[in-house]
Amino acid sequence: MSFKDIELNMGPQHPSTHGVLHLELAVDNEIVTRVKPFLGYLHRGIEKICEQRTYQQITPLTDRLDYLAAISNNLAYLLTVEKLAGIEVPRRGQYIRVILTELQRIASHLAWVGFFANDIGAMSVLLYGFAEREDILEIFEEYIGARLTVHALRIGGVPHDLDEKIMDMIRASLGTIPGRLADIEGLLSENRIWKHRTQGIGVISGTDAIEFGLTGPVLRATGIRWDIRKDIPYSSYGDFEFDVPLGKNGDVYDRFQVRIEEIRQSARIIRQALDRLPEGEIRAKVPRVMKIAPGEVFHSIEAPKGELGFYIKSNGTDRPERVKIKAPSFINMHSLELMCTGSLFADVVGILGSLDIVLGEIDK
Amino acid sequence: MIVAFIKKMLLLDMLRGLVITLKYYFSPKVTIQFPERVKEPRARFRGIIRLYRNDEGGPLCIACKLCQKACPEDCFDIEGKKFEDRMRPVKFDWKLQRCTFCGLCVEVCPTSAIRFSKEFRLSSTDKRVFFFDLAHMYEDFDLQSYLRGGKKEE
Amino acid sequence: MSGFIVSEIIIPVIKSVAVALFPLVMTVVMIWMERRVVALIQSRLGPNRVGFEGVLQPIADAIKLFFKEDIMHRGADRSLFNLSPVLTLFTSLLAFCFVPLGDSINVFGYTINLWVAESPVGLLLTLGISSISVFGVIFGGWSSNSKYPLLGGLRSVVQVLSYEIPIVLTVLSVVFFSHSISLVDIVASQKAEGMWYAFYLPVSFIVFWISAIAETNRAPFDLPEAESELVAGFHTEYSGMKFAYYYIAEYTHMVLASSLVVILFFGGWLPPFPNVEALSFLGYVPGFIWYLVKIMFFLYVFIWIRATFPRYRFDELIRLAWKWLVPLSLANVMAIALVRSLG
Repeated sequence: MSFKDIELNMGPQHPSTHGVLHLELAVDNEIVTRVKPFLGYLHRGIEKICEQRTYQQITPLTDRLDYLAAISNNLAYLLTVEKLAGIEVPRRGQYIRVILTELQRIASHLAWVGFFANDIGAMSVLLYGFAEREDILEIFEEYIGARLTVHALRIGGVPHDLDEKIMDMIRASLGTIPGRLADIEGLLSENRIWKHRTQGIGVISGTDAIEFGLTGPVLRATGIRWDIRKDIPYSSYGDFEFDVPLGKNGDVYDRFQVRIEEIRQSARIIRQALDRLPEGEIRAKVPRVMKIAPGEVFHSIEAPKGELGFYIKSNGTDRPERVKIKAPSFINMHSLELMCTGSLFADVVGILGSLDIVLGEIDK
Repeated sequence: MIVAFIKKMLLLDMLRGLVITLKYYFSPKVTIQFPERVKEPRARFRGIIRLYRNDEGGPLCIACKLCQKACPEDCFDIEGKKFEDRMRPVKFDWKLQRCTFCGLCVEVCPTSAIRFSKEFRLSSTDKRVFFFDLAHMYEDFDLQSYLRGGKKEE
Repeated sequence: MSGFIVSEIIIPVIKSVAVALFPLVMTVVMIWMERRVVALIQSRLGPNRVGFEGVLQPIADAIKLFFKEDIMHRGADRSLFNLSPVLTLFTSLLAFCFVPLGDSINVFGYTINLWVAESPVGLLLTLGISSISVFGVIFGGWSSNSKYPLLGGLRSVVQVLSYEIPIVLTVLSVVFFSHSISLVDIVASQKAEGMWYAFYLPVSFIVFWISAIAETNRAPFDLPEAESELVAGFHTEYSGMKFAYYYIAEYTHMVLASSLVVILFFGGWLPPFPNVEALSFLGYVPGFIWYLVKIMFFLYVFIWIRATFPRYRFDELIRLAWKWLVPLSLANVMAIALVRSLG
């Protein structure tokens, strides 16, 4: 038997392929020479199912795309529908949407930090991230009644107003985040093993990143400033002050640092939104049977994983004629081959983890 | 550079990590011991949906079928009949296995007959019990013994 | 005559059984302790249902493993596949023969040494025998005829080859002080010195400790069974009792490594500062208890380290051994040799 060209099937049952991704690797001793992802183990045909549902009924379906960031998916879909139907969301509704989406971003990033650290071998960080995420899920449960597939937003606004109890919960949760992040950074960012495992690994240049169409923290880690919240503000993101954290080298370490910093910036946005929450309606009047005149529209938002876009084509009925989802995980994953080829087998796990892919979104 | 070398040799970063984990070793634990302590569901918790009665004990449901139309997963099969005063459901079939707890039926109900309960323990060893009919849907129905008991042969 | 039977047959038999059982009992304790300590570090409670605070959980696990199906897939090399877990476990238990668990004690007029065999080269034998157990890992990885175990086996070869050298070099620095490579004599010389060697040889202790973690395939050096990369490494294809053998062998190795650290650097069964008059009351505690307390501390540190650090990568592991630990231990040995020859 030769060790020259071992073909390894990593997944769909493997501890660190984040669900049901199947990678076919060719390994020369431990150096990876080829990476080929196989998709479709979680394919549910969401885009096709959307064609048979009314516009209201699609919203709970979008929860199942990126199940770690359900509210971001809701928002991307709803903004597209509202753009298509010409619905103006009241300012208070927009602010509440921003608060919920940013909480969801923090929750998604915390879950990612835990899973990623576990891939690299730091097992305790998983639970520290999850303990903090638990507080945010409690807020979701208090607000809407569910924790994971929340279905928290509605066409025209949000279903419930934020009361004092929820605002206090949010403030309390934001208060504990800096300490927890300091612990996570103390365990990881400064640790020499962590630096060995992440610095200079999975490097992608800014030019390559743009050519692959990468978005989100993976793109920003290469030093390219592209954040839709800042560049094409939606849902009154223009009202808030926040920084777009950037990396330098585009390696795994920078992606980690960018995401940790994004958690801090999200907390900053939520604090501003809570302080400046305008009075007024939370939901625009929307007819129960919503028929949208023929037309097509594309809208994208900055989801935790990257640019999440929806394309909807209406035909005058209460159901869309075509829905297309531009899933950030799907596009980011395509850079895997470029990043992994020539690296060690152990780094494939780290690189795959650093991309923050969710298979619900890739397979749709 | 020599300072950096000495710092590296002193393993300061490693010691810091050990101190952080030791801090968590002595800090209070966040988990809940489930059967003894049950986390109280929050006010808006989306448990299994139940049909509620009005003050006289009659059904609030007027068999308008709005929930049936709103449901994305096609859980409902409702038929109503005109009684002396108003419409009442005579058939209210509901499939627990299809329900995704999205809440569209609850929001659309004009008489608040369908509401979420706080019941989250919905396991059973017999999948036939997951098909609910009108009698099983009321709030005062003993759901737990029904789910535990399995389907009675008729 | 009866005295001869007792001292030459019954006592050795009891001692042999006890020494074989000691690592197994420690394994049971360790499985519980590992799961509880890791859980407590991660802000959760861990197993606390089976028995008081979950102490019977390892027994429940063992019963479960005992009744599990013993799977061997068609491509496996049958004899080697069966042999390797036994080889790993047997050699790691065998190495305990030379480990003194305590001082000589008097029971009913018989002097009993708390070690099975005293050899003038006990240290070398212990290190040598425990190194043989890596063959079980290599054979297990090879005979599984599967890719993840094979990679795990390959990794363990390189790992053990690299880390044997710093271990032996640091042991050498202890031998410069004790003038003996019998484990019993090393402890005795620490008593004569009145000081644990860890205070004389801190660098040796740290290098030995890092290498011992690597030798026992524990996190952050658990590459042969790196869970997130190689699924379960060399024992991916094993199930049932054969898997349990590997499991017990891993914990036995941890106990052995802790025992060696305690004996070489922390005075074995000696109480702290054995020659200080004011602390002489500590000598009334039996030596075995001191030994147990010390190894439990180091086993705790094993778990603590596992719960804290990320995993090293393969090439970093080798780099650490050859570029840091080997030069460091060489310089250490030379410095100590110089000091000892001058003074």
